[in-house]
Amino acid sequence: MTAPAAEVSADLAARVSAFVARLRGVHGFLLGPGEAADALRALGAVDVLRKPEVRDALRCVLTASPEQRRIFDQEFNAFFRRDGGPPPPTLPPLLPQTDAPGAEPPEQDQTAGTDEGGDEQKPAPPPPDAGDGDEGDDAASMQAQPLGESGEGPDDPDEPAQTIRTKLSPNASGGGAFDAAEGDLPELLRAASALVRAVELGRSRRVKPMPRGRKLDARRTLRAAARTAGDPTELRWLGRPRRAPRFLLVLDGSRSMGKDATLLLRFAHALHLRSRRVEVYAFSTGLTRLTPLLRGAPPGGALHLPDLGEAWGGGTRIGENLLRLARHERERVNRDTLVFILSDGLDTGPVEDLERAMRELHHRSAGVVWLSPLAGMPGYQPVQRAVKAALPYLDALLPAGGMDDLHALAGRLKRGGALN
Amino acid sequence: MTAPVPTPADIQTLFRARGYVAGEALATALRLVVALDKPLLLEGPAGVGKTEAAKTLALALDTRLIRLQCYEGLDAQAALYEWNYARQLLHLRAAELSGARVGDDELYGETFLLARPLLQAIREERAPVLLIDEVDRADDAFEAFLLELLAEWQVTVPELGTLHARSRPHVILTSNRSRELSDALRRRCLYHWVEYPTARQELEIVHARLPGVNARLARQVTDAIHTLRALPLGKPPGVAETLDWAAALASLHRDHLDAASIEATLGAVLKLREDQLLAAPTLRQLAAKAAEPAAPVADGP
Repeated sequence: MTAPAAEVSADLAARVSAFVARLRGVHGFLLGPGEAADALRALGAVDVLRKPEVRDALRCVLTASPEQRRIFDQEFNAFFRRDGGPPPPTLPPLLPQTDAPGAEPPEQDQTAGTDEGGDEQKPAPPPPDAGDGDEGDDAASMQAQPLGESGEGPDDPDEPAQTIRTKLSPNASGGGAFDAAEGDLPELLRAASALVRAVELGRSRRVKPMPRGRKLDARRTLRAAARTAGDPTELRWLGRPRRAPRFLLVLDGSRSMGKDATLLLRFAHALHLRSRRVEVYAFSTGLTRLTPLLRGAPPGGALHLPDLGEAWGGGTRIGENLLRLARHERERVNRDTLVFILSDGLDTGPVEDLERAMRELHHRSAGVVWLSPLAGMPGYQPVQRAVKAALPYLDALLPAGGMDDLHALAGRLKRGGALN
Repeated sequence: MTAPVPTPADIQTLFRARGYVAGEALATALRLVVALDKPLLLEGPAGVGKTEAAKTLALALDTRLIRLQCYEGLDAQAALYEWNYARQLLHLRAAELSGARVGDDELYGETFLLARPLLQAIREERAPVLLIDEVDRADDAFEAFLLELLAEWQVTVPELGTLHARSRPHVILTSNRSRELSDALRRRCLYHWVEYPTARQELEIVHARLPGVNARLARQVTDAIHTLRALPLGKPPGVAETLDWAAALASLHRDHLDAASIEATLGAVLKLREDQLLAAPTLRQLAAKAAEPAAPVADGP
């Protein structure tokens, strides 16, 4: 260990400590006393009179991901303005803690990770064929959607009536509010477990030591032979382990998805609890990675997620966001990855990007499955432009309109041969 | 620490002398690696120079570079140490024939120990640069093992006892984010996201690595690369592709971009057929623009 830096003044040390506390308290950075001490040591190793150097050093110590880096830069610029200036303004948190949809909005800022203990009130969901409702205005904390996004444009002039009803569902609010009912978590976990168990990707090409296998493990056999004066009396084997599946879930959080998005988000959370190899993204007009948020959610408690911004409750840009995802996840999508797209397919953008993204995901992954809340409706036809464009690249198009569909998911995939 | 820790400006100068143009943030991060004795996790797109940064740091510090390339299924044995079983077996057989006794001390001594990168790094007298490349490709179990090593800098070889690091290596981990690393590992490390260089920086890189390349060609190549990176490509070109492209064009004795030379050298830049088709209209525009009078270099990402 190097000695702690002595050059950092008490005033600067106090400000850095306050800055660390703000990153921890408001934005949920995982920073403890060790990181705070490292930040001070880092300042001792750079020229504290050069602000860019101070920023770079603190960023290096206090961030651990590109997402945190963006937050850090905004906060640093607000916090460390010129000395002697007025105190830094209290910025609204970049990721305010919002209640799970359907719950009362919080009275005040919550620090990340606070568990409110779940929501007491769960308004009964309106009937699916409810008349046209206003766009929800109950999400005071949600960011404004980009201009020009006024919900869904008609997907097809002749789309079925139930589609129209879905798009006008009062649940399809622009506020990202979703019902975090805890009661159905055991059910969702059962469905998620069945899905994980159902996946049969075959065996890895890599060999590893196993009690029985097809290939002699010369190294371990010789190691054992050393105990018997060089006679290999015990043979050791190498076998091919089963390939563990990875799941990549892409959830359409646009207004048209309504309460289905809520259910599928909770299903994604359940799947995340059942397997470590799960990546979850949500999109509406923009794309957001939910995996770190789900990882931080207390298992068994109500699902509290911060403001998802452009990824929740706005219009739909399937193609653009899937293409962004295919690029972003390029390294992670391999032949062990099952991609699930959870969307009604009511897209407002051009289909060229979607085709390109689907082709890429299809080529790189073990399989691509589209789960549509509309697919379970009587007389459903995949006539939505996005679904039609995606069909050639899909291993399965299945309904996901409720808990029954999720329970049946593993069986349907197995029967359809999409999982092996 | 015996040698003085180089300042970020020193690091930039040392790197520049070795053909690596390091931004201030990266130079600061590398200084902290040496000053704080903490590992540095470098993340970023493929081809931005993460691995090269570690190699250049070793050159700049005039110390040894020890590289551990991670892959799926990498275990502690392959990363730390292994006994030379075949040689041990032969030794046992030879001893048996001569009637000599072979003790454990002899059989599990230095003669038969195969030191892998992590053990090599621990046993170096002078702090080496330990590059743990593409750590995201290793699995969770290896990551846990690595955490322990990075915390204690000692390893226990059952037959030899506990080995302490003679000098703490300067550790650089790189990741392409093919797997989400654990929070524990991230917290253990300093972190720096390596972004694509700006057009101006990339131009500097081209001139630093390819001193003989025509100035006009270098500027047009870097501008073209930045235009291509803005497209939704499956495999955006990295800095390595920029250098390859500039070198390829220079080898064809070109002093500017034109449609024929772009077509002839496109394989050095875009490695996917879909990307080449997608970029074709843009490349045609670039070729047309390259014939116009020179414009100042944009300093944007």
